[in-house]
Amino acid sequence: MNLELIKTVEQALYREARLLDQERYHEWVAMLTDDIHYHMPGIETRYRRDKTDQVHDLTRMAYYNDNLEDLKKRLRRLETGTAWSEDPATRYTHIITNIEVIPTEKEDEVLVYSNFLAYRNRNEKDQDTLIGNREDIWRKTTDGYKLAKRMIILKQNVLLSKNLNVYL
Amino acid sequence: MKIEKFKDNGRYDSYMNLDEGWLDRRVFWEQSIYDREMEQIFARCWLFVAHDSQIPNPGDFLTTYMGEDGVIVCRQKDNSVKVFLNSCPHRGNKVSFADAGNTRRFVCNYHGWGFGTDGALMGMHEEYCYDEGDIDKSKWGLKQVAKVGNYKGLIFATFDENAPSLEDYLGDFRWYLDMILDNEEGGTELIGGCIKSVIGANWKFGVENFIGDAYHAGWTHDSGARAMNNGQPFPAIDMKNSYHASVNGHGWEFGTEGVGDLFLLGRPKVMEYYNKLRPNMAERLGEMRSKIFGSVASASIFPNVSFLPGISTFRQWMPKGPAQFELKTWVIVNKNMPDDIKDEITKGVMQTFGPGGAFEMDDGENWENCTQTNRGVVTRREKLHYRSGISRRIEHPELPGIIYQGQYNDANQRNMYQRWLDLMHADSWGDVPERYDPRLSGKETMGPKAGLKTA
Repeated sequence: MNLELIKTVEQALYREARLLDQERYHEWVAMLTDDIHYHMPGIETRYRRDKTDQVHDLTRMAYYNDNLEDLKKRLRRLETGTAWSEDPATRYTHIITNIEVIPTEKEDEVLVYSNFLAYRNRNEKDQDTLIGNREDIWRKTTDGYKLAKRMIILKQNVLLSKNLNVYL
Repeated sequence: MKIEKFKDNGRYDSYMNLDEGWLDRRVFWEQSIYDREMEQIFARCWLFVAHDSQIPNPGDFLTTYMGEDGVIVCRQKDNSVKVFLNSCPHRGNKVSFADAGNTRRFVCNYHGWGFGTDGALMGMHEEYCYDEGDIDKSKWGLKQVAKVGNYKGLIFATFDENAPSLEDYLGDFRWYLDMILDNEEGGTELIGGCIKSVIGANWKFGVENFIGDAYHAGWTHDSGARAMNNGQPFPAIDMKNSYHASVNGHGWEFGTEGVGDLFLLGRPKVMEYYNKLRPNMAERLGEMRSKIFGSVASASIFPNVSFLPGISTFRQWMPKGPAQFELKTWVIVNKNMPDDIKDEITKGVMQTFGPGGAFEMDDGENWENCTQTNRGVVTRREKLHYRSGISRRIEHPELPGIIYQGQYNDANQRNMYQRWLDLMHADSWGDVPERYDPRLSGKETMGPKAGLKTA
């Protein structure tokens, strides 16, 4: 795997994180392919012997199981001016680590593993820390690398927050 | 100003006046009131524990809470359901750490005491340590609830053997419940899995919001409504043809336009599906109920289950102390719907009423602050206003229960707190007054004639 490609993809991930920190959602959406699948399954605590596929079964409950139009709908809320719980604004930091870039059978796509720590602080002292893994497909386009697929595995059973106004 | 110190003597008349329409904020804050709620309400009422579809096969189980008591809900070989404490009678450890699964045994990690799927004690590690006469295994199983009941797929349990039958507990609210549980042949199911989140608010704020608070929707959720439907605002409310209905502390607020909640889901295919189904619905449930279903509406079953008929979010507020609850979120669909409609509904619900949903995000913030402001000793002695629509009570020939006109109303909330007060004061179920005239006791709730005053 050539180092330049790894560096290019890493930079795309860091740029994405910065756009999310700064609530620059239009620019974030521009980094997604038209056929994006953005998925964060809800994972119950089950015994090891239990073979229920809680990760890939798309008919099960999920925090996100979105295509581009679905994501745009969610983001539209922020543009209405009446998303009361977003004003005053939430303060975000996304920390992205453990990036691995792996070639796929498709020449223009790479598989990218990464870990995230998303910190969120609001109003006086509301704060949440979300930690987990991501498994992405990034695709080379004439506009640079774009996110085509993301699977997010959050490490909490009960989401220890009142909501999820953050993209991971 | 007279400063009264809070003293909990088990009488709460002075903390609310529902004829005047106010509540004292301490009912949302004081630990001793919360402790009494656990005893008087959660240890006595029928509580939702599972949907049939979550545990279809023998050995299927899930763990949940009745109040703060952890329980296991398990399907038996004869297809019945048993509910017992998730706590070993030896030293008290949990016997299951999973949210759900299938098993032949529940075995305690501490000393290896093993229990059957019916909760009976089967044996233990190094059983020879017990001499003859040390233990009668038939008496040391997992503690069973007093009664288990089922209404059209919803499984309820109660710790109180003197509780009324589930049918009487739900009363004429069954007429309303049929709209979500029985609007199509085959009944309902929950989509697999469960999303849980923690909200730093008193559990009653969630329940009362769904039981009657249509009023908040157009304001709190302006952004959500516009997001889901290309900038269109919340549907207009018709105060003449919309209602609050309350039965035994349960409540349903609704319009009769048939499309408001379906519109808010933001999924045109789902709207189309129900509009096609509507003539059948009218045959099953009557014209009136077929017009209520799908309207701007929300409902709660006392004490802690809520849902949105039409939007199809189904949820339970699990109390975790006076200033915190855990919210369990499911999606309820008709079993016989095609897969693509189930998929549309599931996605729609998670985009509106999941933790990342366009509506949900603004709710949690409100309830947390409604609760946490009461940290202030002066603030918490102040009253909250619950008087909206207090003079709009009507008799309705087609609608059973206590009916108020106009869905912008605090009526269901007042009636919920009346039930709360009745239960907090009652030494036994016999002391709990019936506060409405039942039309459907012992009667069929389906069909166009059910629920009519003259039927």
